[in-house]
Amino acid sequence: MKRWFAVLLAVLLLCWPLAAVIADEALTEVMRTLAAVKSLQAEFREEKTLAMLQQPLVTTGRLYYQAPAYLRKQTLQPQPEDYTANGEWLTLDTPEGGQRDFNLNGYPQLRPFVEAIRATQAGDQATLERYYRLEFQGTPADWTLRLTPLDPTAAGYVAAIVMHGKNERIVSVETLEPDGDRSLMIIDLTTIESP
Amino acid sequence: MRLLPDLMRRWRVPLLWLLAALLCGGIILKTPVVADLTLFVPRADLVAELLLEQFRSGPTTRLILIGLSGATEVDRAAVSRRLVEQLRSSGPFVRVANGADALPEAELQTLFAHRYLLSPTVGPERFTPEALRTALQQRLRELQSPLAVVQKRWLPADPTGEVLALLKRWQGGIREPAKRLGVWFSPDGGRALLLAETRAAGYDLAGQRQAVTAIRAAFATAVAGTTVQLQMSGPGVIATLAEDTVRAEAELLSVLATLGVVLMLVLVYRSGWTVWIGALPMLAALLAGAAAVDLLFGKMYALTLAFSLTLLGETLDYPTYLFSHRQAGEIVQDTLRGLWPTMRLCAATTLLGCLAMIAPDVPGLNQLGVFTIAGIAAAVATTRWLLPALLPPDWRPARVIGVGVWMDTLLEPRPRLALTVGAAGLLVLLALVIKAPPVWEDDIAALSPVPRELLRLDQELRNALGAPEVGQLIAITAPDAETALQQSEIVAAWLDTQQQKGLLAGYEAAARYLPSQQIQQQRQAQLPEREMLAADLARAAGGLPFQPDLFNPFLEDIAAARTAPPVRPEDLRRTLLGTRIGILLFPGERGWTALLPLSGVQEPKRLAAGLPPSTVGQIWYLDLRAETSRLAAGFRATALQRLTWGVALIVGAIWIGLRCWRGVIATLTPVAVALIFTVAALLSLGERLSLFHLVSLLLVLGIGVDYGLFFSRPGADPAQRRRTLHALLVCCGSALTVFGMLATSELPALRAIGLTVSMGVVASFSVALVMARTPSQ
Repeated sequence: MKRWFAVLLAVLLLCWPLAAVIADEALTEVMRTLAAVKSLQAEFREEKTLAMLQQPLVTTGRLYYQAPAYLRKQTLQPQPEDYTANGEWLTLDTPEGGQRDFNLNGYPQLRPFVEAIRATQAGDQATLERYYRLEFQGTPADWTLRLTPLDPTAAGYVAAIVMHGKNERIVSVETLEPDGDRSLMIIDLTTIESP
Repeated sequence: MRLLPDLMRRWRVPLLWLLAALLCGGIILKTPVVADLTLFVPRADLVAELLLEQFRSGPTTRLILIGLSGATEVDRAAVSRRLVEQLRSSGPFVRVANGADALPEAELQTLFAHRYLLSPTVGPERFTPEALRTALQQRLRELQSPLAVVQKRWLPADPTGEVLALLKRWQGGIREPAKRLGVWFSPDGGRALLLAETRAAGYDLAGQRQAVTAIRAAFATAVAGTTVQLQMSGPGVIATLAEDTVRAEAELLSVLATLGVVLMLVLVYRSGWTVWIGALPMLAALLAGAAAVDLLFGKMYALTLAFSLTLLGETLDYPTYLFSHRQAGEIVQDTLRGLWPTMRLCAATTLLGCLAMIAPDVPGLNQLGVFTIAGIAAAVATTRWLLPALLPPDWRPARVIGVGVWMDTLLEPRPRLALTVGAAGLLVLLALVIKAPPVWEDDIAALSPVPRELLRLDQELRNALGAPEVGQLIAITAPDAETALQQSEIVAAWLDTQQQKGLLAGYEAAARYLPSQQIQQQRQAQLPEREMLAADLARAAGGLPFQPDLFNPFLEDIAAARTAPPVRPEDLRRTLLGTRIGILLFPGERGWTALLPLSGVQEPKRLAAGLPPSTVGQIWYLDLRAETSRLAAGFRATALQRLTWGVALIVGAIWIGLRCWRGVIATLTPVAVALIFTVAALLSLGERLSLFHLVSLLLVLGIGVDYGLFFSRPGADPAQRRRTLHALLVCCGSALTVFGMLATSELPALRAIGLTVSMGVVASFSVALVMARTPSQ
């Protein structure tokens, strides 16, 4: 047993840098396929598990994306809400608050949350790395990307965002909060335009 | 042994003069110079005083507006952040903001702690089972939003959303400038903007200067090699800059004017000694005038300093009269004795003209009057008594006064021309009265000694920052803060209804952020008891997925709020909240003042007429534009009135001096015609007449009377008349040099004085030359 263990350890140690290189190449590959997507439309189902609530909170709606900087999250159930990030601007449209525009330059604390999905879908690794520490696992055909916020304020609200994907499609986004609350968004592609 | 008494007699006057000069110099060494416009506002006007208090020490006077321009947007934002860091660690500021931070966490906690007393939405209907259920459903919906990660921390203790209501009110208060790269920027992005509030009040020039220096020093560090440029404005900055500008410009111009006059005198008399002796009366005038102002007022207004330049011109005339009238075979004392009646009368008329300026209720005009009276008196006395003591008895200027044919030609009587000029004067007067009555300057900014460019920068920064620019506002005075707040609440309720009618767009009030203790206690009384609230909350939460004991902090906080002491203004001191409130509610000389700045007022008159009456304090509607225009018109009316008095006194003095109405008319007609021409010339140049023009006209009157008196001196032989002409030519030339110099100034005040007096001097001289003749016996 002991010898087996030693061999295994040796193999692991030898392969460690190799694995990192392979992961790095795979991330670049995934980013390239994501960047090739021109536009897409999808349905989502989000399940929030909160300590304050006895049961999870479920919302459903649609996602729209257009390369390189347009992302819209339209919640339909249980109550309509609309969030659109377009370039430097974030537009909120809620039944109570009406429509409000925010310039993302003026609200640096909002930016990481917008970029988590938008920059990933755009395959913009440089932008992601400005706000997050990136950990990639898997292969281009079935990958997991874990984003950990670099900014302490953002880290106070979000511990990590974990994305699963298959090639140029993001399949799910899981948000983990420091207090244990979390939400899981499952994305169901309806149309996609890519070469 | 007889030498000493001889020396004593000879040098007694010079010694006394020297002593007096040193004494005056000692007095004015420490005279503070203040750029305080309010000195020119008539007192004993309650509304005006309220306004002045705002101008002098109101919280808005503590604001320094800062703009950063040049380089790139990224550079401007970075310098803005570094500048804030630098300034926050330095002493002179209560607050420095560039928009980068929202409410600090500590202050958010303060708001949170007092939410049930401060929130406008708290009332009995807020805690019924139905209302609670609606609130809980609302909170549940908010949890679905991506923003819930930030907002959910308030939920257990605040399910009715009072903190959000408070924050909304807090943020909605002022128009916040647009942000770029996280800091405030002007709408076009050209300037990064900051706002600093000084500890020192606006009128505390030393404190303001310290703050301005601190900003400059911090900027020097923060700029860090970029090409970003600093712009500053605000009442304190303007005041210090105004002082600097007036000082610098007055100094420069007086040096230039002195050089010019010295050059002219050297050319005329060809003697340096003459010029030195001739400068003594002027020196005496400046020292005596400044010392008198210091002794009577304790400080000197920057504008008095500017006006003191005008003394330069007038005081040079006295020694000139002496120099030009010197002739062989006559000792200095005798020449002076011959001139003395006329010179005395000249001085007396000027003194009386200035006496009219002294009014108990306008300190600024008072200063001008006192300065001139003391100065003229000193100059005349110096000429009469010091000069003969210093000059050898047979002294004459190096160059003998030229006697040319041209002089006789000039002095030839020309009755027809005189009649024509007189008729022209009448016609112009008629035209002025009928066709083009004077355009008065009622913009208070025109009285300010501040360059217009700076005022424009101030307006730009103010607009961009949305800093409280008080155009229309309601002011409430009350004996204490609580009463002022209660009165504000009455007015605010009335304003709400007016706002619904569309009469105004909105308003600010301290009571919006900090309700009166009365209201807070009413709210406390309406908070439900714990058991009842717990039961109602349980019913409201029925069927909703919240955890059973989630809202225990809410029950505890309500119970605590029922007995908490009300929040008072002093509890919020030294916080951002306190600063916002302090601008709108503050103690003053007469109890407390609450301000309610209004925006988007449609019909000021209608709004002002409907103001609710007050039982305990006073409520004023102030339209600042209208009020300041009214004040400016007030200054002008006062000055006009003084001018009239001055004329009456001068006429009286001449009559007493000459004892003959024909002489009075002969002296005054040229002056009157000259004044008419001067005013017509000013108006045709497009000048709007202000206080400065009026005071300058008084000076022209004084100088013109001198010319008239000298030209119509009784009992003068032709040689004497030529010498008089020479003297007056020199006087006119030196006045023109000094005031022509002033007319080139950038400062509105100096320009007005220079333009008026130089034109007036030329007109007075030419008209007097043509019209004034010794009345035939």
